[in-house]
Amino acid sequence: MKATRVLIPAAGGVALGALLLPGIALADTTVSPSTTPVGGTVVLTATGCNPKSGDAIFRVTGPDRDQNVRSTTAAAGGGLSAELFTAGFTLGTYTVAATCGDGTPDGSATLTVTPIGGAEAGGRDGDDGVGTLTTGATLLATALGGAVILARRRRHAVTAGTH
Amino acid sequence: MRAYQLGRLLVAALAVAGLALVGAGVAGLPVRPPQPDGTAAGHRTVPAPRLPPLPRATPVEVRIPAIDLQAPLMSVAADAAGALEVPPLDRPDAAGWYRLGVSPGETGNAVLVGHVDSPDGPAVFFDLGRLRPGDTIEIVRNDARLVRFAVHGVEAYRKNRFPTDLVYGPGDAAGLRLITCGGRFDQDTGAYADNVIVFATRAA
Repeated sequence: MKATRVLIPAAGGVALGALLLPGIALADTTVSPSTTPVGGTVVLTATGCNPKSGDAIFRVTGPDRDQNVRSTTAAAGGGLSAELFTAGFTLGTYTVAATCGDGTPDGSATLTVTPIGGAEAGGRDGDDGVGTLTTGATLLATALGGAVILARRRRHAVTAGTH
Repeated sequence: MRAYQLGRLLVAALAVAGLALVGAGVAGLPVRPPQPDGTAAGHRTVPAPRLPPLPRATPVEVRIPAIDLQAPLMSVAADAAGALEVPPLDRPDAAGWYRLGVSPGETGNAVLVGHVDSPDGPAVFFDLGRLRPGDTIEIVRNDARLVRFAVHGVEAYRKNRFPTDLVYGPGDAAGLRLITCGGRFDQDTGAYADNVIVFATRAA
């Protein structure tokens, strides 16, 4: 009976720990920002690594890529950081897994490399009809002006003819 | 008197030509695509039903009953400059699925792109700006599944302030993003200033 009382909470604790640990491990590596247009620079941080243990190694794997990036600076909030320049990266999602200098894994995070900017999804041609409209209006105004001049000349001619 | 007759002829010719050009100009004025009214929830997080994510499958058709849209989908990626591809202008009735991202129904945001117009007039995503929260978007996949999404926002963004993270960024649920052009049309560049983006979350 005693054994049961001890074992059940212990088993529950182990199960809870098993559930929580992966989440904790995942949180130890961060990529900021986690989404970048291709060519952008992101900061990789292994928050759980002790700088005194040596440089951390970030393994970046994804579409057509498997590269290691060595940490270059101590992160302000703790751990080690490196910058990753994404020029030349194939678009898609990458996994960044960190290993501390003492060989301890420090979890992983994802990085998404996206197209640059927005979409050129308009296809109409540049002629919006305004130019044609303006030219037509100008011709109409000229015709009106000419009609006025002709009417005045005719009135003058008629007046001169009656005197 | 001869000069007067010539003048009358000239004035008449100018008037006829002017009227013809004004008529052609009015006929050539493009129809402006509807713009989002800014009342939508936009990219803000909305509660989504807990649905198990679907495996990857190629989407083949998009349907949006609220704007009477049913269009085939083709796969697109990015061009040599790294910009999002759009379907060719000789297929203005087709929309594109960004195949380097997730497919509709998988966890994350699937992205569709389509022209707002073409030299011949309105194109497949012309009416996206009319969508409102609650409208339904249906995606037919090549595994015969029909995935339904509910619109929770429609917003316009300057192209130079495109919200990359909100469109392509990761998410806990299956989302959908529809992209087209909108806003002011710049005669000099021959392009619209904005992108209109529809934000939707899987509903069934």
